[in-house]
Amino acid sequence: MIASGPATAAQARPTGAGAFFCGAGLHKRFGGVQAVRDISLTVPRGGVFAIIGPNGAGKSTLLNLMSGLYQPDAGRMIFDGVDLVGLPAHKRVRLGLGRTFQKIRLFKQLSVLGNVIAAFHIHHDIPAWQYVIHGAAFERDHARCRAEAIKLLDFVGLEARASVLAASLAYGEQRMLELARALATSPRLLMLDEPAAGLNAADVERLVERIRILRKRGMTIIVVEHNMDLVMKIADRVLVMDYGQYLFEGTPLEVQANSAVIAAYLGA
Amino acid sequence: MPTDRVRISRRGWFLVVAVIIALLPFVIQDSYWRTNLIVCAINIMLAIGLDLLVMKLGVPFWMAFVFGMVLSGAAGMALSIFAVRLRGHYLAIASLGFAVIVHQVLLNWISLTQGPLGIYAIKPPPDIALPGLPVISFGNTANMFYLVASFAFLFYLLLDQLVRSPIGETLKAIREDEISASAFGINCTAWKVFAFGIGSAVAGAAGAFYASFVGTLVPDAFIITESFTILAMVIVGGMGTLIGPVWGAILLTILPELLRGFGDLRLILYGAALTLVVLFMPGGIAQAAQMFRARLGRLATATDAGMRQ
Amino acid sequence: MLTVVLQQGINGIVFGSLYVLVALGLTLIYGVLVQINFAHADVVTIGAFAAYFFTFAFGGNYLISIGIALMAGAALGWLVNAAIFAPLRERGNELLPLIATIGVSILLQNAMLLWFGPIPYAFDSPYSNKVIRLWGGTFITLQNLIIVVVSALTIALLYAFMKFTFMGKALRAVSQDRETAGLMGVNPNQLIMLTFVIASALAGMGGAMLGPILVLTPFAGTTVIVKAFAIVIIGGFGNVEGTIIAGLVVGLIESYTTQFVNPGLTDIVVFTLLLLMLALRPTGLIAEKREENV
Ligand SMILES: Nc1ncnc2c1ncn2[C@@H]1O[C@H](COP(=O)(O)OP(=O)(O)OP(=O)(O)O)[C@@H](O)[C@H]1O
Ligand SMILES: [Mg+2]
Repeated sequence: MIASGPATAAQARPTGAGAFFCGAGLHKRFGGVQAVRDISLTVPRGGVFAIIGPNGAGKSTLLNLMSGLYQPDAGRMIFDGVDLVGLPAHKRVRLGLGRTFQKIRLFKQLSVLGNVIAAFHIHHDIPAWQYVIHGAAFERDHARCRAEAIKLLDFVGLEARASVLAASLAYGEQRMLELARALATSPRLLMLDEPAAGLNAADVERLVERIRILRKRGMTIIVVEHNMDLVMKIADRVLVMDYGQYLFEGTPLEVQANSAVIAAYLGA
Repeated sequence: MPTDRVRISRRGWFLVVAVIIALLPFVIQDSYWRTNLIVCAINIMLAIGLDLLVMKLGVPFWMAFVFGMVLSGAAGMALSIFAVRLRGHYLAIASLGFAVIVHQVLLNWISLTQGPLGIYAIKPPPDIALPGLPVISFGNTANMFYLVASFAFLFYLLLDQLVRSPIGETLKAIREDEISASAFGINCTAWKVFAFGIGSAVAGAAGAFYASFVGTLVPDAFIITESFTILAMVIVGGMGTLIGPVWGAILLTILPELLRGFGDLRLILYGAALTLVVLFMPGGIAQAAQMFRARLGRLATATDAGMRQ
Repeated sequence: MLTVVLQQGINGIVFGSLYVLVALGLTLIYGVLVQINFAHADVVTIGAFAAYFFTFAFGGNYLISIGIALMAGAALGWLVNAAIFAPLRERGNELLPLIATIGVSILLQNAMLLWFGPIPYAFDSPYSNKVIRLWGGTFITLQNLIIVVVSALTIALLYAFMKFTFMGKALRAVSQDRETAGLMGVNPNQLIMLTFVIASALAGMGGAMLGPILVLTPFAGTTVIVKAFAIVIIGGFGNVEGTIIAGLVVGLIESYTTQFVNPGLTDIVVFTLLLLMLALRPTGLIAEKREENV
């Protein structure tokens, strides 16, 4: 049912049956570095799908391929029946792909609220002329966006910081704003790149909590993480990568018990 | 004292053209796009070139005005499709190159522009005769001032509304981080083209007013240094705000007048002032004003607290 | 016909080598700083005036005056870096130094206007009338020969400096990869100052040799600098060899356009070439396309 694994490009046909996201035979090279080599993955609808692996394993590159910031050298990707290859990042957002960045990329000179409102970009409902002559529809949209943005900030625990500049947030708060901003696009598939990096234990707890809530609401979540504890707690499936390649895939318990995975982590 | 009054309104008029021109940059404020300001400034030359075409064809002023805006807006967008591919200084130099080409074409296209002699006696906008009121003639500099001032104000208002709409956030997001912006569904290229188009359209309007006010069009009217003066207005006023360039335009238009008393030293002082502002007040007037207000605010709260104690 | 082609080729190379001198300075500065020095134009002008006053007011030798212009340029380069670029470096804004140097340029041009007046100076080199006959009916004036020889020698010296001396190698390394500079243990401030001094010395001596060819006014440098910008882009910002080739090519294009098309169109041809170039290769001849590491 959930069939991922090493596959040659020829075999690699995204079947899509029952899958929400399906990638097949993905390759990405940077100069001399083969960052992603022949990765295939099938993410079922709903649930949390974790990607783990040592530093430089190609996890972020894989997310970047999925969200469209990089184009793959080879391979195919299907999201909910739509072929993604060649589609620019901004169009994939409209399909329901949302993401956060491992290296935090907030709009630093915008307020916390402004960051979330900027991320509502695809959801505005304003007739063109009302952008220059603000009318009723504009005010309605404005009020709705603000309310939603504040709700999102509340969700991640930043409501009290709404009006400060994003640049002045503490590191952990910036991570949470990354999450709020990604949620503002109303993604159906949310990709989190090391959301717990740099968080203290309490913050991690809160994050786990939030991810569980999102999952309960039916959102599909892909999470790249080094924090094994977090992965074990929330993941339904885990894909392990090493040196850009597929190493293993299974349930958290299977991953924990697998000798190849242990070797990769201890050996690295 | 009538001569004096004319002088003042003439100066005021220039000021307002400068304001219109200086409104351009608000749409173009991200670090990569800062350099694009140069392109926009240079679009004015293009705008003038196009306005010139329209004027030469004998089109009535208001039609020329609309044409000038639409044409230069469209030309700006066309240019931007080329420009969005370029980064930083490459863009700056490309704009410079573009300016040189436009200038040379105007200079060499004698049948259209009469070359270096220029076109003279361009008519002001037609009189407005409202029933029951005296005829409003734009040969009168004061009337012309009000006309242009009201347009400047109108543009300011519209652009101000625009930046206060979600488009403001969109453009700022692009300025801050294009990659991140694209991850939130923002089509950076399209929005840059949009910003370019708006900026150029406003420049086109400024060009139409400029031509009909000065009454002559010589290809040298907006040589490269002139375009940089407009850029300087933006810098001195403060980039990234809408009001900053307005202050910059006012200051840099008035400054040479104020320095007139220094005679030949005037432009030397102007150059020095520009350099000093960049060195010591890089955020421009807008930032200085903000800091001043903040300090006042702190002072106020401090005395408030003091009084409560 | 062949004579004309050859003769225009010679003229093109004369102008081209002067453009190279001016453009090399811009490209060197860009290489280490990623900044554009707009006042570079005025270094050229001041070089020209320095040479003029040395030869005419003081009756000095023209060849020595080139050396004087070189020193005047170097001094001005030192000043511009110390006063503008060094203090602005920490700000990390690519536009501020450009604008500041525009201010400097306005200041210098108008100061020169005040002192020297707007009327063009007749800067006749004593060597302009001595003609050397070459093959096939072509000729070169001694002045132009001096230009070509001095430029070629200077460029060769610069090349040797960058190839064989430690500072030169460091300079090269920085232009190619900014991060290695730190690794080489070079003081970046010294390196930048050195670059400015060399770049401006080149521009100054370029001015001394352009003086007799151009209309010598306080604005003379501007006409050259605009072309130098084009050359720098065509050659690839920071790329020395590319700049040399592009400078000569632009000189030749100008010379042939003047002869066979229309003297009024030279700038249009050169800058159309520039724009075409940028349309095809948005970051210059040397492609630096890379996917940003997200
Ligand atoms: N844009 C790029 N240009 C050049 N090399 C890149 C780029 N992006 C990634 N790489 C390289 O590809 C390899 C995989 O990087 P990637 O960021 O995907 O790893 P990762 O698994 O996310 O590691 P980490 O756990 O450290 O985040 C690394 O060697 C990295 O240096
Ligand atoms: Mg990573």
